[in-house]
Amino acid sequence: MSKTLEFSIFEIVGSALCVASSDGQKVHNRLIAALNEGRSVTLSFHNITTLTSAFLNAAIGQLYGTFSEEQIRALLKVQDMQADDLALLKRVVETAKLYFKDPQKFDQAVRETLGGDSDES
Amino acid sequence: MCAALGSLLYRLGETANVVKLHNIRPAIEQILSKNGFLSHYGRTLIPDHWGTTIPYHRFDVKDDRYFADYIETELMHRSEMPAMSPGLLKKFRESVFEIFSNAVLHSRTTKGIFSCGQFFPKRHRLDFSVADLGIGIRQNVQDNTGLNLAPEKAIAWATEGRNTTKRGQIPGGLGLKLLGEFIDLNGGRLQIVSDAGYWRREGGKTVIARFSEPFPGTVVSVEINTADTQSYILASELSAADIF
Repeated sequence: MSKTLEFSIFEIVGSALCVASSDGQKVHNRLIAALNEGRSVTLSFHNITTLTSAFLNAAIGQLYGTFSEEQIRALLKVQDMQADDLALLKRVVETAKLYFKDPQKFDQAVRETLGGDSDES
Repeated sequence: MCAALGSLLYRLGETANVVKLHNIRPAIEQILSKNGFLSHYGRTLIPDHWGTTIPYHRFDVKDDRYFADYIETELMHRSEMPAMSPGLLKKFRESVFEIFSNAVLHSRTTKGIFSCGQFFPKRHRLDFSVADLGIGIRQNVQDNTGLNLAPEKAIAWATEGRNTTKRGQIPGGLGLKLLGEFIDLNGGRLQIVSDAGYWRREGGKTVIARFSEPFPGTVVSVEINTADTQSYILASELSAADIF
């Protein structure tokens, strides 16, 4: 069995501020390469002070467009995250699951949110 | 709000206009000289001895690192900043970056992103604004979802948690929702102007309105209550094993 890879977010991004979607993409590229080979990955958020949903969407959220929930659950772990950052990641993950599970349903939810407010004829 | 004004003047300059500012009221001229805004129009920078201004700046969309440095230097690590709780400081920092990321991801602007801020010590308020000259929220919603909404309703739509104009491989749609939630807890105010739409969140209530003339992009302005003493520590902590 192959050893779990540990990726340091700080090392990949080169900063404690993980705020840009483009930096999230760098993390994503590493994750894709590892997960495609069936490797287990632990993402360490040690020394990260600031996260945005844009960064996490690019780094992790978009994984749900390529891998199943089961695959991600089996292969990916996170560590060294503060409680509020974990809560943010959880919301990003839940949103990504909805987004990729059924795009039509997602759009339907959007339209329901609008109710009769649309100016569409 | 000189981020919005600066973006408009920059746009004029891009179309071969020469911008000169005259007859500015002295109090306003002093503030706009302290925050560096008028340096763009030939005035001399005045030292900000009280340290209440957050400098006016224009960034390119790829300047995210530069923007991060600006926020850390001009906002987070300034001795003049009010003593905010660590939790509030973290939430505020995240909010500012969410606004900038939102402009980078959604505006499609090629003219840059403009920001500035002001601290009001007596009122315990800190205002920060980000403006872009992009396509605006209404056009973005229409291009990506086909929904043809009134400009103010398009902003309301974009601030709902499950809604996103993002298409393709990277999901989105949380940034403005998170901001609104933070502002509700903090007792601050969030205002968005995009196209001819106006949207405001304050005191748990949302107000929308329509302007007679459109703004050629989007302005997001956040005002936080710096006297907020909430810890922002979650009541029930999630386990890292329960995320995916």
